[in-house]
Amino acid sequence: MKIDYGRRELDAVHNSSFIRKRVLIVLFLLMPIPAFLISMTVGTFPITTGEIVGVISTRLGLEMGHPSVYETVIFQVRLPRVLLAMTVGSALSASGAAFQGIFRNPLVDPYILGLSSGAAFGAALSLGVVPWIPVQVSAFVFSLLAVAVAYTMARTQGRTPVVSLVLSGVIVSAVFSSLLAIVQIAVDERALQSIVYWMMGSMNTASWSKLESSLPLAFLGCLGILTLRWRLNVLALGDEEARSVGMNPERYKGIFVISAALASSSAVAVAGIIGLLGLIVPHMLRMIFGPDHRTLIPLTITFGATFMVLVDDLARAALGFEVPVGIITTLIGAPFFAYLLRRTRAGGWE
Amino acid sequence: MTISRYIAIIALCLYLAIPALGAPMEVEDNLGRTVTIDQPCQKIVFLVENALNTYYSIGDPETVLAIGDNIWKRELKEDFFKAVDPKFDDKVRIGFDAGLVSLETLAAEDPDLVVLWATSPEDENLNAITETLRIPVYAVFITSSGDMYKQVRDMGTISGKTDRASEVEAIMMSYVEEVTSATEGIPDEDRPKVYWMWSDVLGTAGRESGFDDLIYQAGGINVMNYWDNDASYVEHPTVPLETLINLNPDVIYMWYNEKLDPEDVIRGTEFAGWRDINAVKTGRVYEIENPFLFDAFSPRMPMALMHLAKNIQPELFADMSIDERMDGFFGEMYSVHYPGYAAM
Repeated sequence: MKIDYGRRELDAVHNSSFIRKRVLIVLFLLMPIPAFLISMTVGTFPITTGEIVGVISTRLGLEMGHPSVYETVIFQVRLPRVLLAMTVGSALSASGAAFQGIFRNPLVDPYILGLSSGAAFGAALSLGVVPWIPVQVSAFVFSLLAVAVAYTMARTQGRTPVVSLVLSGVIVSAVFSSLLAIVQIAVDERALQSIVYWMMGSMNTASWSKLESSLPLAFLGCLGILTLRWRLNVLALGDEEARSVGMNPERYKGIFVISAALASSSAVAVAGIIGLLGLIVPHMLRMIFGPDHRTLIPLTITFGATFMVLVDDLARAALGFEVPVGIITTLIGAPFFAYLLRRTRAGGWE
Repeated sequence: MTISRYIAIIALCLYLAIPALGAPMEVEDNLGRTVTIDQPCQKIVFLVENALNTYYSIGDPETVLAIGDNIWKRELKEDFFKAVDPKFDDKVRIGFDAGLVSLETLAAEDPDLVVLWATSPEDENLNAITETLRIPVYAVFITSSGDMYKQVRDMGTISGKTDRASEVEAIMMSYVEEVTSATEGIPDEDRPKVYWMWSDVLGTAGRESGFDDLIYQAGGINVMNYWDNDASYVEHPTVPLETLINLNPDVIYMWYNEKLDPEDVIRGTEFAGWRDINAVKTGRVYEIENPFLFDAFSPRMPMALMHLAKNIQPELFADMSIDERMDGFFGEMYSVHYPGYAAM
């Protein structure tokens, strides 16, 4: 009798833990909604929540008198910026989680294959040397080029060993960093200032056209990772283990690298280099929900969007002047990450 | 007066004059450093272009020994430099390697003085030249129109042509006064609010910048003066777009921008969020189209002021022809005509 009672108690504990986890997952999946609503009320232009509701009501056909500038601030300034921040956050976080899975390494971020160095070089080229090429296009092309070179370099005899990928990423990063240094030396002081500011990452020039150019590619990249996410669990076990269950690891590594590169390149091209986000968001979630990519990937997409948009709120409104969002990401993310790291064993990888 | 007394007075005068002839003298650069030079310098290396521009209006071009090979927008300037210095193409070019000046090339020229841009006494090039080569260095760091006038006086001291330097200073001041005499009486509330747009679009000129002064002299008021935030005082603050919309400038003045035109700001899809700003609504978005002619941190600062004034206060300066004034200015400063830079 005693034993039966113990089993029932254990079952109850297990069920309550299961339910708690499910509720938590749903909460994290829905988090972007309140974050979006809060962000729409944050800004340096003096406009109340009631006035925002009035402006939106007018858009919906209800006549509510208000100055036209309110509509501009809500629909042309805040809305594209909030949506862009969410897109960038999702793209970088999902890419980070995918790269960490492929590389089986918790220290990996979306920039492991030289993507950020390539993007920085592309942006610098546009800002200081060939101004007729748009910064966004140049950054995007060179970030993808860097990843393509790193991937091709690492591929030998139809295989792409993880160690070779890491090393080729390091080499490509170093080459593009050197090229960037040459551009920085050659350009004038003002162009140099623009390059440095771009590299800090910022969304202060967000617009619908930037969102339109970034969103489809980020969506495509995230969709690829999301659809195939369970295969990351197999890849995370190692190439031999993947082959033993009938999976072609090379094919899926390639698909994940392309998807992650596409998503993060489209984000970096419009927002500059935002450090740490792609590293800490997947980590935070792994510490809370464990390493199963079937749960992890959807959560990185939603929580990445939430985290980024809230951080951008601080960047644009906390001090009354613009602070590059990359700085805030690091300043806020690092202590929170350290706290979680101390509370969990091996950062959730065990 | 006896002959012996007369000879004694002449001897005394000569005695007093000897220390001034060829004696080392001191000049304070823009960083507050005291630079000891032999007056006048016969072999000067210019690693900064704005001081070279000033020097050409005062000193002998023959004494310009070498120049830095880092001239920005060379294609806009070469005709001018060749006109005021026929041997411009033959001057030695001093290269830079990873941002550091080529010390060996510099040492080979053995100059009396090097003039370079430095924002602090810890500047690497400044210290490398003074400590390694033991060559005096005059550091240029211009942040206001006052600094420009000082540069004119210092170039006079360096070249030994202080009278010409005084003339140049007076020429510059007279052109500035042509504008300020018309604008100084305008009350602040009647001045159009001006947003200065650097090439990073939301980066602007702060309250304590050189362009704040220039905008005021031109009859406007820098919109940063209405921004209640400490960041408005820094030289190059970045303004959130929502703040800019709220500040609502009447005029937007763009620094030379290869990626944007005023038309992009007025009608471009990237600037849809700017459409309720007064300057955009009224089409009052202007650009410094030629960064050489209207360089506010060069002796052509009065021309930059006139360019600004003509657009900020169009009614006040309706009769002013920039081209005519430019021709007069280049004539007085460099003895060449504008445009074309033909010798007078």
